[in-house]
Amino acid sequence: MLPLSEEQKLVRDTVRAFAREELWPLAPAYDESGEYPWPQLGKLAELGLLGMATPEAWGGAGMDAVSWALALEELAYADPSVAVIVSVTSGLPQYMLLKFGTDEQKERFLKPLARGEWIGAFALTEPQAGSDPAALKTRARRVEGGWVLSGTKAWITSAGQAQLYVVMARTGEERKAITAFLVLKDDPGLSFGLPEAKMGLHAAHTAELRLEEVFVPDERVLGEVGRGLSHALAGLDSGRIGIAAQAVGIAQAAFDIARDYADEREQFGRKIRDFEGVGFKLAELDTKIAAARHLVWSAARRKDAGGRFTLEAARAKLFATDTAVTATREAIQVLGANGYHKDYRVERYYRDAKVTEIYEGTSEIQKLVIARELYR
Amino acid sequence: MKFVAIIRQVPDGEAKLREEGGRIDLSGATMILDQMDEYAVEEILQLKEKHGGEAVIVAFGPERTKEAIRTALAMGADRAVFVKHEGDADPITEAKALAKVLAEEAPTVVFTGGQQADWDSYALGPAVAEALGWPSVAWTTAFELEDETQATAQHDLDEGAQRVRVRLPAVLTTQQGLNEPRYPTLPGIMKAKKKEIKEIPAEELGVTGTKVEILSQAIVKIERKQKILDGTKEPEKAAEELVRLLHEEAKVI
Ligand SMILES: Cc1cc2nc3c(=O)[nH]c(=O)nc-3n(C[C@H](O)[C@H](O)[C@H](O)COP(=O)(O)OP(=O)(O)OC[C@H]3O[C@@H](n4cnc5c(N)ncnc54)[C@H](O)[C@@H]3O)c2cc1C
Ligand SMILES: Cc1cc2nc3c(=O)[nH]c(=O)nc-3n(C[C@H](O)[C@H](O)[C@H](O)COP(=O)(O)OP(=O)(O)OC[C@H]3O[C@@H](n4cnc5c(N)ncnc54)[C@H](O)[C@@H]3O)c2cc1C
Repeated sequence: MLPLSEEQKLVRDTVRAFAREELWPLAPAYDESGEYPWPQLGKLAELGLLGMATPEAWGGAGMDAVSWALALEELAYADPSVAVIVSVTSGLPQYMLLKFGTDEQKERFLKPLARGEWIGAFALTEPQAGSDPAALKTRARRVEGGWVLSGTKAWITSAGQAQLYVVMARTGEERKAITAFLVLKDDPGLSFGLPEAKMGLHAAHTAELRLEEVFVPDERVLGEVGRGLSHALAGLDSGRIGIAAQAVGIAQAAFDIARDYADEREQFGRKIRDFEGVGFKLAELDTKIAAARHLVWSAARRKDAGGRFTLEAARAKLFATDTAVTATREAIQVLGANGYHKDYRVERYYRDAKVTEIYEGTSEIQKLVIARELYR
Repeated sequence: MKFVAIIRQVPDGEAKLREEGGRIDLSGATMILDQMDEYAVEEILQLKEKHGGEAVIVAFGPERTKEAIRTALAMGADRAVFVKHEGDADPITEAKALAKVLAEEAPTVVFTGGQQADWDSYALGPAVAEALGWPSVAWTTAFELEDETQATAQHDLDEGAQRVRVRLPAVLTTQQGLNEPRYPTLPGIMKAKKKEIKEIPAEELGVTGTKVEILSQAIVKIERKQKILDGTKEPEKAAEELVRLLHEEAKVI
């Protein structure tokens, strides 16, 4: 393993202890009820976990991206729904505010997000614009003192729960004439759909965002007018490290359950881990997970170093999410019929894992990004 | 006022330990702040929050002990004094060295874990008190500071409970129930980096070696009996047998 600093280890160990004590026992119940995990998020806020990577000056903990990834891995290990909410609020709105926001916007919007008083959301996708966000149709019409937004956003994590939404809307005719806006939950004209009935990540609500003539004043334009798509894509570079870390946590959790099970379960008079069919499976998964973790850390290190990290983030997301789906599917296999039962948790990890290959850019889109970066 | 917690670093309860040449090999194990000592840290933090003053960590052990010290600092303690010693030391030798540090610090009260999670000596707290000529209260489940010269404490045993008034300074040992230790916060971890850890080589405090030499160590393996009673045929009989086993063999009811 690449070495971690003393502080990074302390972050990992602290979040691990917290998550296994406080999140792990309740994760199945949240999956069952589909309730948004406000009590859990409250505990995270107390520890400073909702503003981990935001500098102290703006209400955060000022941790590096490696620590952020370590913490997200540990959260996902215990409860992937909580992890995605944290990854989104810290990786997207907070990161975009930090990078593109004015000092006044940071004061008003970044601070409550970083302190964990607010949850933030990122609204790019629309019913007709997923992998191709430049096709988005939500419009912003210029009016005196601001803009008026109309349109529908789909599949928005924490929609209906979050207090702040970074909404990308069209501000001109050309394909990429898109601007990012800071929309608040109570803005008149904003409403939400019911949480979608998803395969997994039940506690992390995903819903539609409906904008009907929502007035947004000029001081809530995030970054430059007409540069919103590029700002959103920069946000996604950061978000992808978070999702990749979430995927590693899911993979590791399912793997640990399978490894322990194979050490207990006996068939044909021996522990099943002694069958090559099971032992080699575990060996391959262990190797994949270690490789995925290295890709996540190296993307995070690249981000910490201050350079462009589009390629590293895409690689990490592509590989780690594939690893999560493989590891959870194979963990079910190792547990046999028990793996298909809710009591053993691996079926839930499998359901939670699948979407990591879809959101914040599908695996195909990651390959598109990597292929482009190769000739940049 | 000044409140001190003496802490130790021990293997995580879930750590996989190995025997290597008659010794327990800790190199692969995750090492953590002793959970009994966590109560001590929490208690001095609460005392500081309530009465003001300083919360100081004192530790004795090898270089890696610093990780446990950082954890305690991240929980909120102000600074630490670290008596560094590689190799074994018996609790009395350790207590004498710690007593010198404490005599200089002159704290209002000292807390430490009631037992050490790796090798239970139960001795450290009382031995430190003895070396300083201070009173000691073991197995504390409640503590109330009255003023700088005295406090009341609850001292629990399996067989009963006592409430005591103790003259300060004193050394108290903790047990489960004293408080609910907090997790370090991330801002706390960031701040811990900048807090002072004063390092003192154990030799400077007169530690020349150990008076109790460890000849060998072994891990006790607990064999689970895994008795399964078949309740499908004669459930009443199986239930009676279960009660008998719990009563006579497991002695839990
Ligand atoms: C649980 C969940 C949470 C989400 N949270 C958010 C959120 O918070 N904010 C937000 O804005 N969005 C969010 N999304 C939306 C998510 O980002 C999109 O689903 C994703 O970008 C894919 O878009 P799509 O679903 O429209 O699929 P499509 O774009 O329709 O893709 C369908 C298939 O075609 C493939 N495909 C598309 N284009 C190409 C191409 N050029 N080359 C090869 N293959 C291609 C895709 O890879 C995919 O396999 C969330 C989605 C889910 C399921
Ligand atoms: C929904 C459902 C319905 C079912 N319905 C029925 C039914 O109607 N009737 C019935 O009798 N049973 C039924 N079953 C049980 C099913 O047939 C067993 O689950 C299956 O045979 C596997 O046994 P197991 O679950 O005990 O897994 P195990 O035998 O414990 O296997 C665990 C893992 O070890 C692997 N393994 C075991 N031995 C070896 C070996 N020698 N070499 C390599 N790998 C090995 C397995 O492939 C698996 O990956 C059902 C199960 C489910 C989930």
